[in-house]
Amino acid sequence: MDIIFSIIREDTFWKILLFIHFVLALALLAALTLQVATVLMPARQVAGGFVDRGPIPAASYATLIAVVYLVQALFGAWIYIKYRTYVRIPMEELRYWWTVGAFDFKEHTIALGVGLLPAYWYFWQQPASTEHAGVRKWLTVFLALGVWYALSIGHVANYFRGVGS
Amino acid sequence: MTQTLDAGRGFSQLDSADATGAPRSTTQTGTKSETFVIAFGISFTLGYTVFQMLNWPLFTYMPAVGRTYFWLHRPLTGEGPPMYWYGWIVTSALNAFVVGGIATIIPGNWLHRATVFFCVLAALWPAALAGLRIFILHWATFDAEFLNSVWVAAIPGLVGTAVITYYVPTRLAELMWTRWLLVVPVICLVVLGYTLLPWFLR
Repeated sequence: MDIIFSIIREDTFWKILLFIHFVLALALLAALTLQVATVLMPARQVAGGFVDRGPIPAASYATLIAVVYLVQALFGAWIYIKYRTYVRIPMEELRYWWTVGAFDFKEHTIALGVGLLPAYWYFWQQPASTEHAGVRKWLTVFLALGVWYALSIGHVANYFRGVGS
Repeated sequence: MTQTLDAGRGFSQLDSADATGAPRSTTQTGTKSETFVIAFGISFTLGYTVFQMLNWPLFTYMPAVGRTYFWLHRPLTGEGPPMYWYGWIVTSALNAFVVGGIATIIPGNWLHRATVFFCVLAALWPAALAGLRIFILHWATFDAEFLNSVWVAAIPGLVGTAVITYYVPTRLAELMWTRWLLVVPVICLVVLGYTLLPWFLR
């Protein structure tokens, strides 16, 4: 870390990291939302054997989502160090209890999501299988809702003390 | 006239090992992987909630001074705030790897029943403790403080769990197996949210 801080200022470094975290969150959100839309509105087969499919096959980016989710969680865990010392302490001093509580819930949501990632990835390897269609669908919805919540609360915390605040 | 049906239904027949002509060993590997990921998901989410509530992190990181301590460490003066989150995740991951590994080697009916046992225990044990605390507070006519213990609560918790697990039909335990993967994380989130309630009630 000292080598990095000899090149750029410490606060600039954390802001760059936070910005990358934000960009990755947007990408993850877009991909998961698209996938949720696909699983909630499944492809239909019309008479004559033609399959009326969505524009993007949802299974094709399940691996990408799993990888980005994990990378994003690791990024979040890294930035969390700065949050704990630089953001949360003044947050508590200024009595922003709801924000502190909501951010703690975000940690739990993402942690549970990490635990479900192997199952999510595995069940998307056989996207045509109806045997686990329900599990696949609801795991995707769970992860998507978690990411939506995490991005919203992350934005609130950033607004309190982050990039551009 | 257009007649529609779920395309997935058409593919489902192609998914079985017989239809694809997949060798038996590949199917078994697939089943083992499936067992592992389901057991991992259930035990990780359940474990994370339990370890968070009991505050059992594998290590504690002190960001202000850059120090890491094994297990739970209460901050000393000048050390700044402690971070337990990493420790809870690592403890949960280790627990989930072990449980996932064990799940792949035990027979299916044992696995389904064991899953019922641990999920019910995770609900009944804290419920028993809460019940004992209510009893001590409102009904006890003697000094019942000795009942206010997680280990005392373990007795009715374990007995109740054993009875429920014994009477759960095998078919139901089998049906519930993959559903736990959806039910457990949602219940865990509710419980974790409940533990954060003091922040919202200040």
